[in-house]
Amino acid sequence: MKRSVHVSAPLLAAVALALNTGCRQTQMARCVDDQNHVVPDSFCDNPHQTTNYSGVPMYRPYYGGIGNYYIGSTVSGGGFTPMSGASYSTSTSRGGFGSSFGGGRGGSSGSGSGS
Amino acid sequence: MQRVSLNPRPNWQSKVEQQGLTFHSPTAMAPHPYWDESAAYHFTAAEIDTLEAAGNQLQTMCLAAAQHVIDRQRYAELAIPPEAIPLIEWAWNQEPPAIYGRFDLSWAGASSGKPPKLLEYNADTPTALLEAAVVQWAWMEELGRSLPGTSLLHAPDQFNSIHDRLIAKWKDVADYLTQPVYFAALEWSDPDAQIAKEAAEDHLTVTYLRDTAQQAGLQTRHIAIQDIGWNPDRHCFVDAEISENQIHSLFKLYPWEAMLAEEFGPAALATCRNMTWIEPIWKLLLSNKGILPILWELYPNHELLLPAFLERPGEDQSSSFQRLFSYVRKPLHSREGANISIIRPNAQTIETSGPYSAGPFIRQAIAPEAVFADAAGNDRYPILGLWMIDQDCSGLGIRESAGPITDNLSSFIPHYFC
Repeated sequence: MKRSVHVSAPLLAAVALALNTGCRQTQMARCVDDQNHVVPDSFCDNPHQTTNYSGVPMYRPYYGGIGNYYIGSTVSGGGFTPMSGASYSTSTSRGGFGSSFGGGRGGSSGSGSGS
Repeated sequence: MQRVSLNPRPNWQSKVEQQGLTFHSPTAMAPHPYWDESAAYHFTAAEIDTLEAAGNQLQTMCLAAAQHVIDRQRYAELAIPPEAIPLIEWAWNQEPPAIYGRFDLSWAGASSGKPPKLLEYNADTPTALLEAAVVQWAWMEELGRSLPGTSLLHAPDQFNSIHDRLIAKWKDVADYLTQPVYFAALEWSDPDAQIAKEAAEDHLTVTYLRDTAQQAGLQTRHIAIQDIGWNPDRHCFVDAEISENQIHSLFKLYPWEAMLAEEFGPAALATCRNMTWIEPIWKLLLSNKGILPILWELYPNHELLLPAFLERPGEDQSSSFQRLFSYVRKPLHSREGANISIIRPNAQTIETSGPYSAGPFIRQAIAPEAVFADAAGNDRYPILGLWMIDQDCSGLGIRESAGPITDNLSSFIPHYFC
């Protein structure tokens, strides 16, 4: 058999359309420092944390928004209160896959995960 | 095998976008598009038979090479992490579902008088899949008998049963999977257009695979690889839903060697026997460039292989390497043409940069020349990607570059035969 009989990929087409129109749902919970940079989730484990000189907690959970889970990346678009309906187990950590190709990924050097 | 120049279809951009290929014209490649239908490769049916047979034969040889690595415990030569070895051997014996892979071959067609030569095997995380399976198929369906060399009696055909074979394979393995099956790739947004292209490529490739699984009747879920959660209390990976559902079956378009080096690597190994990972962890043996010297050792002078040798640090390399005056030097895990050098006597070394400079490296003889001229007379270097679905060579996708190293700036060129 050398040829496909009928090729149809409706899910692919729909997701491609959504990418092109910038429609993407995000539901993330990340631990951030007082500069809104992502830090390891464990930093948010202690509820009675120190604050910085202006009273902002050194580490606190950040809900929703855009961006990713990479340590050091800056969060935006979300907030410090949970999104309605969203709750995350405090013992689950995320971002443990994906770091090899994050952040300083160089364009022409080509470190894509596919090849 | 001929390279024919064509007029791109009017509105080809919107056509390929509607089929799912949004990254057809990355700015980093301008003025060349990534999806380039200003040309096509035209094969004879006999040439396609040659390629199909080559893919099937190489698959048999690669499985024998993997068995050899296991039997002789040659993991260190492939820089396989010792902690992964028991899981590789377990997965090899259990035969969990393995879906796909892509052989990259160099060939100038039957008229060259030489057989195709294996350059490498992308056995774990191959991309350029939806281009090959969907977009070039639709291209041929639309152009049909207007393609050069076709006629009323000779309709064009394409080496492409990728889509049907993927759906059939998912049906085959459905009983071995726990549904929903999760599909994960790296996802992120980046202002750099080239990086954004790569991100879209991974996301859409995994979405296409998920699409074929759904068409096979499987329940599927999407998750970004970064959003996968590890719950140490439950000792399992969980999804990003509020209920944090356990992930039992996961297709990941993300290389095993990267996963093992990351924070969740130990957890992936600890739960490997309780989860179904696709591709399975034993693919580490074949996606590794170190398999090329082992193939050459097991099948010396095989017509589909190029001489290849492992560099062994601290060892006198003159004995085996003196036979290779001209060679390509590749790291074991390079991707998208990174850290490749081409060394020829009395010629300047051609080198690409990248993050894999620490090696280890292999040396592979340079393939017989396979260069075609475009309409302006410029050299174009095609690489023939043979898609293996399960154990069957199921299709062809061609990427083409301006130079001898195929990288992430190469174009995809459709093909047909008649």
